[in-house]
Amino acid sequence: MKAIGGFFVAAVLAAAIVALPGGSTASGQEGGKNVLTIGMLQGIDSMNPVRGVTVAAYEAWNMVYPTLTDKAAKDFGVIPGLATKWEGSDDGKTWTYTLRPGMKWSDGQPLTAEDVAYTINRSRDEEWLNHSATTGNLTATATSPTEVVIKTKVPDPKLPTMDVYIVPKHIYEQYDAKALTKWNGQTDVAGGTYQLAEFKKGQFARFTANPNFWGGKPSVDEVVIRKFNNADAMVAALKRGEVDFVQAVPEGQYLNLQKDPDFVTLQGRQGGFDEFAINMGDGLKKPHPALLDPKVREAIAHAIDKKTIVDRVLRGLGEPAEAVSPSANPDWIPDIPEDQRFDFDLEKSKQILEDAGYKDTDGDGIREMPGGGQPLNFRYAVRSESDPSPRIAEFITGWLKEIGIDTTLKTYDDGQLTEVIGKGDYDLFVWGWTPFVDPDPMLSYFTCGQVSSDPDDPSNYYNDANLCDPEYDKLYKQQATELDPSKRRDIVHEMLTRFYSHAGYLPLYYQGDLQAYRKDRFTGWQKQPADIGPVLFSNSSPSYQTLKLASATTGGASGGGDDGGGGGTGIIIALVAVGVVGAGGLLWARSRRASADERE
Amino acid sequence: MSPRYVIGKLGGSLATLLFVVVFNFFLFRIVATDPVANLFRGRNLTESQRDELVHEFGLDGSLLHQFWAYVQQTASLNLGRSYSTNETVVSEILDAAPATIWLVGVSTILSAVIGVALGIAAGWRRRSKTDYAATTFTMTTYSMPDFWLGMLLLSLFAVTLGWFPVGGLQDPTSTATGPALWADQAYHMFLPALTLTLAYLGEYTLVMRSSLLDTMREDFLVLARAKGLRDVVVRNRHAVPNALLPVVTLAAINFGFVLSGAIAVEAIFSWPGLGLATYDAINGPDLPMLQGLFLVFSASVIVFNLLADLLYAWLDPRVREA
Amino acid sequence: MSAVAAPSAKRIAWLRRRRAAAAAWSDFRHDRAGMIGLVILILFVAMALAAPLIVPESELRAINALDNPVWASPSEFSPMGTDSLGRSVWAQFVWGARISLLVGLAATVMAMLIGTVVGVAAGFYGGRVGGVLMRITEWFLVIPFLPLAIALAAVLGPSLTNIIFVIGITSWPSTARLVRAQVLTLKERLYVDRSRALGASDAHLMGRHIMPNISGLILANTTLTVPIAILSETTLSFLGLGDPTSTSWGKMLEDSFQQGALTEQAWWYYVPPGLGVLFVVLAFTLVGHALEGILDPRLRNAPTE
Repeated sequence: MKAIGGFFVAAVLAAAIVALPGGSTASGQEGGKNVLTIGMLQGIDSMNPVRGVTVAAYEAWNMVYPTLTDKAAKDFGVIPGLATKWEGSDDGKTWTYTLRPGMKWSDGQPLTAEDVAYTINRSRDEEWLNHSATTGNLTATATSPTEVVIKTKVPDPKLPTMDVYIVPKHIYEQYDAKALTKWNGQTDVAGGTYQLAEFKKGQFARFTANPNFWGGKPSVDEVVIRKFNNADAMVAALKRGEVDFVQAVPEGQYLNLQKDPDFVTLQGRQGGFDEFAINMGDGLKKPHPALLDPKVREAIAHAIDKKTIVDRVLRGLGEPAEAVSPSANPDWIPDIPEDQRFDFDLEKSKQILEDAGYKDTDGDGIREMPGGGQPLNFRYAVRSESDPSPRIAEFITGWLKEIGIDTTLKTYDDGQLTEVIGKGDYDLFVWGWTPFVDPDPMLSYFTCGQVSSDPDDPSNYYNDANLCDPEYDKLYKQQATELDPSKRRDIVHEMLTRFYSHAGYLPLYYQGDLQAYRKDRFTGWQKQPADIGPVLFSNSSPSYQTLKLASATTGGASGGGDDGGGGGTGIIIALVAVGVVGAGGLLWARSRRASADERE
Repeated sequence: MSPRYVIGKLGGSLATLLFVVVFNFFLFRIVATDPVANLFRGRNLTESQRDELVHEFGLDGSLLHQFWAYVQQTASLNLGRSYSTNETVVSEILDAAPATIWLVGVSTILSAVIGVALGIAAGWRRRSKTDYAATTFTMTTYSMPDFWLGMLLLSLFAVTLGWFPVGGLQDPTSTATGPALWADQAYHMFLPALTLTLAYLGEYTLVMRSSLLDTMREDFLVLARAKGLRDVVVRNRHAVPNALLPVVTLAAINFGFVLSGAIAVEAIFSWPGLGLATYDAINGPDLPMLQGLFLVFSASVIVFNLLADLLYAWLDPRVREA
Repeated sequence: MSAVAAPSAKRIAWLRRRRAAAAAWSDFRHDRAGMIGLVILILFVAMALAAPLIVPESELRAINALDNPVWASPSEFSPMGTDSLGRSVWAQFVWGARISLLVGLAATVMAMLIGTVVGVAAGFYGGRVGGVLMRITEWFLVIPFLPLAIALAAVLGPSLTNIIFVIGITSWPSTARLVRAQVLTLKERLYVDRSRALGASDAHLMGRHIMPNISGLILANTTLTVPIAILSETTLSFLGLGDPTSTSWGKMLEDSFQQGALTEQAWWYYVPPGLGVLFVVLAFTLVGHALEGILDPRLRNAPTE
């Protein structure tokens, strides 16, 4: 016993000594480098802008890829990027951009109009997911290393804004069309503020400042985007100083951080919204037959109390929505007239269903198809990667039950759900979008051409309403070439009002990205758009160009120093306590042994 | 330990492993509704690529043909690709394995050592306060869900007191290598290891205790005491070594089992091992990963059971001649 | 001449059994740990059965909790506070007990039935049949429980019946092994051979001689299997494989983890269900050990500890 006990205590103390140096977890400064650590719950699905779709991925591309023109933090206005000036022809169909001279990619290769033309032309030819909405009608020619001429087939109201990611020709030309869609996009060649240094899928991605960035090397040496599996862990990491900035903070933690003077909290609004979507049946598979009846969908729309969802699930951090928001600029959202809105009214829902013949004929509380056929039981897909998703489901399924509709819940991760929607193997789900600045991409997602149509490639689509409305498509084409801003706005309003009336795609709320960051680490955070926007994960993330170390950091080596030190001290205390208890136990045991034995 | 004994045991283990492979096939290929779609989900393939792969995986043949193809693939360690990451299952498992091996290895050793010590204290002083305290303590830890214990420790020591990190393997912002990196990892491993240690030491205590009690009835101890040897000596030189035998084999077996049992605990602590990989694979579900992980877990248990059997035979003179 | 007719063989047997039961109960009563366990069990079972009387089921629905504060501590909202949607934790605890206990018991019954049948068949018939059955049993013992359960549940889908099935199908082996060993011992007993010599059928032997003598063992073993089943259900529900529409203690732990109870420091959401599991499992273990001491024929003849 003595031997074992002694060995044990010694081992424990040895571990303590070894563990000590690991106690410091200061970020902010690491051996002379300053590092911005970003925590998020989503991972970067792909560094390849031809393939990826997540918010995290967009942020990474914002860092790594340059754009021809940039966007002002204030109001998304077009400002110089790779190009310093531009000129349009009289008919608006030809634009000439002048690039800065002598630009280089991070690997030293020249960054010229060649790369710009290559990107635009290839993305158009191969229909790159994140580019072709912009470049689909464009042809680019590099007339000199610093001049590129862009011609558009039809009048394009988006020009001269040219914010597609310009890719390095000398890297991308190594991949043919097929190989490019399979490539993981991990290269350290960059033209933006940062270049990729390390990528561990599902864990973190590390970026180092690009010394060749056209705007000058950024002040922050490194940016790390770190994925957390659990919001608790992420916020605790922020408090401990392991990360400097977090986004997508769940409501509860956000409200706590709001009260804490060491942190800045903000709701970064960029037109993002979450919607409740019904399978409208124009895709690969039809939904439950009842859902093809607009009356049933209307009844469902009247059974959702958006205000309660905002109050209870979002803890008030959002705004109930009606129409789809196609842009970070709220002017593009139409005002749905009162008499066309689907207000929360359970009695009305029940009435609509009764009148349409969906009655509960067998008294089990669930309605059946007219004539007493199939019961109304819908497949509801829940997102495992979304914090509010299961809670919203709790409410919606509750209300549906009240009006006599049953649901079967199934949980998917985002990759699986994308495919399930593409295949049409669902009836209901809740998901969300963050639109761009120009409404065109978001509007294009609901056109007939974007409905999933290839059973062998079911994830290749954007239209997750599975709805094809030719009238909508017609209006879409109109707005795409309407150069008069107010006329264009009217067309968009009309499209979205019509889309709303189908009662199949119901935005629940507009929500900002709940962000928080430490006050003591960095300054130079820029909101985009001004006042209401987010400071990171915004449209063009201008903060990376202006962030720098906050001047007065508490004690050199760590803003998180006290946490780190606390960690080390913590271990010592804990292990000494264990050692004391262990030693005490030993002594006690020995004294008992010395006394008269108690044998069997 | 005769060669025949070893070969017998080896053969038995191999047969069991084969059984697992067959079971895996039936579970995931047959019970899952559409094997073709299931295997190729999440991959963008052209018509010809698809046909090629269907042929490669043997899905265009009869059931028997499919099964044979599956056995060949498994033997060549081709376990398919993960639905969510698109990396091969084998590479994902190899990435995640070290973290779990470290965590479970350290926990097994600690729980064995502490459990044995407690078991000795309890068994030697049967019916004493020590015995009751130890038995009560171990019964309590054994009766609670291990991940719940992890939640309690996490909330107390990491969230409330801030003494330990709330999860992960290491601080990703640090570029430390060597001992500093190991120290950081050890720091992150402290709470999950503590959880597993506390959860599993009960078994060792109880086994050691009853094993000691059994041994204490043996004749040779009576002889030793009659000879007038001091209690401590009797215990340490004679009783304990014999009683340790079942504990050693228990530790070996346990290592195999806990490898697969740490799933919930790894999830709580975001510990990037096989358990967390399983937890992530459940949502989806990522069937190739689950299938591969099941195979790996079963194989590890089989292997360690075999090792335990051989170890037992080698250590216990009574079994050697069997 | 005698006023009372001689009692029949059946009545004698019944009287004997009653006396044995009374003796067993008396033994049990003296086992303090077993009694404590029994009391705890009765309390929890009563709570589970009386759930509708204690707290209306509607309190589990979020749409009915709109007036409650969210994340309220027990002092703000008695008796156990609320979760992130304002639902009463106490309601979840009481109704959760139902599912946890139900799944535990149902899965155990299933495991016990399969285990007994397999064990009796393996022990009684021996030879090739017995050998094959024991191979299957050993195989199940070697396969790690959790991955097997996860694999089955992932393929079958999360639902109440599937969970019971999964746990039942993975828990029977230890019972089978125990039963087989006991049956083998019984086979050696003389009266079995005598009965056979007299021409008794297999069914008669099993029904009259084997079953009654192993029923005590089975009862004790069953009581000790319930804790495993309950812990399994808790773990599987925590991992998201439980029935998504009903509440159980494991689901409460899953919810608390997913909703961020740890950062909210809302201990009232994850401590009670864990304690519930702890007490119920402990109770079953104590009762089971006490029963083992009384009913297990092997222990009855062993030197007293």
